Amino acid sequence: MAGPEAQPGEESAPRAAPAAPAWSEWVGLVVRLGLAVVWGWAGLAKISDPAEAAQAVRAYEILPEGLVKPVGYGLPFLELALALLLVIGLGVRLVAGVSALLLLTFIAGIGSAWARGISIDCGCFGGGGHVDASQTEYLQEILRDTGFLLLAGWLLWRPRTRLSADGWLAR
Amino acid sequence: MSEKNREEKRAARERMLEQRAADEATSKRRKKLIVGGAVLAVIAAAVITGVVVQNQRSKPETPTAAPAGTIGDKNLVIPVGAGNAPSVLTVYEDPRCPACGMFEREFSATIDQLEDAGKIYTNYHLVSFIDRAVPGKGSKTGANALACAQDAGHFRDFHDVLYRNQPDETSDAFGDKSVLLNLAKQVNGLDTPEFQACVKDNKFGGWVSAVQQDFDKSSYKSTPTVLLNGQPIYPKNGDEEITPANLVKWVDAANQGKQLGTAGSHGQTPAPTSTASEANNPSPAAG
Repeated sequence: MAGPEAQPGEESAPRAAPAAPAWSEWVGLVVRLGLAVVWGWAGLAKISDPAEAAQAVRAYEILPEGLVKPVGYGLPFLELALALLLVIGLGVRLVAGVSALLLLTFIAGIGSAWARGISIDCGCFGGGGHVDASQTEYLQEILRDTGFLLLAGWLLWRPRTRLSADGWLAR
Repeated sequence: MSEKNREEKRAARERMLEQRAADEATSKRRKKLIVGGAVLAVIAAAVITGVVVQNQRSKPETPTAAPAGTIGDKNLVIPVGAGNAPSVLTVYEDPRCPACGMFEREFSATIDQLEDAGKIYTNYHLVSFIDRAVPGKGSKTGANALACAQDAGHFRDFHDVLYRNQPDETSDAFGDKSVLLNLAKQVNGLDTPEFQACVKDNKFGGWVSAVQQDFDKSSYKSTPTVLLNGQPIYPKNGDEEITPANLVKWVDAANQGKQLGTAGSHGQTPAPTSTASEANNPSPAAG
């Protein structure tokens, strides 16, 4: 989780780079809240039934049994924490970095399931587990996560957004 | 003299500005560290809280209460038929699974007859995972009602009634407890205050979850999964398609030369002599 914290660009930003246009901070706000909705929705959908969340993880057949429950139980709360931080706009670049890492992990997991020919629902927004081979939607799931990854990418590139705790702290 | 003075002043001012810039940079860096630390702390706290809370909320894999007469090391299995029958038929099915409904409509009469003849000992695993994929809770409430029926000694009859009246997969009729209680009236002696309370209070909810978690950890991925003496026979046994006639044939072949079990035993009411009436609400083909 280290990478995004170092911000080489920002140190020199006030002098070197021309300031981002004002509208980009508004775009940033929309992107930030959009990504917050994604994480909030994803997190809430996985909370109600812990056994279901664990099975969604188990179905990928990647993690050893001992890690299935901690990941299944902890992941929705990680997603909710990211949603909360994005809503208040605290540490946006770091949160966007963690979001991007998480999304890349998901995409890799779905791709791996696809490549191994197992039939699962990604469990991205609740559900999950084995499905009939005719009901897999790996491509759609990967494209969707790639779309979310673009949101995180925008915030990595332009972490300054309107109405954020970061902006308030920088004053 | 004045020249030197000016120079000194300028140097001092420059030093001050440098100092100020350095201070600002330091304070900015510190702010960033604090924000970064706070973000990581929030994330870590959330994850740890999540693991602890969900661990407490999750139902144990070994149930605290199981219906009377269940078997297996955690009492997760409902047996029907004579325990000393030479063959074991293992059935994993979900009350809401359309393919299970089709299986039951085609095979329940045959299975009941094989049980009554002492030829098979059927082991039911009440899976409840359709609720995860399709909105509703009929898998869990249906499985609980079946557990209540087992507790009352009427599992087989209620099981057959339930599957004959299975709603469409997308309809959550079994999520409505009054529907389950109404269906129970079709089973002689089941419609008691104890049974009603058991259904309404979701008495065996923890047991239902334990059975599902056991299925989650098994290598079986869909329902119905049907095994004859441990070997999968649904939808095919080797190259042969499962049909009622083939099922009888396979059971007889497996039982050849073996003593049959006690006929019509296990305290369950005997099978209806006529084949069960066809479904009121046949479901469309399932995956």
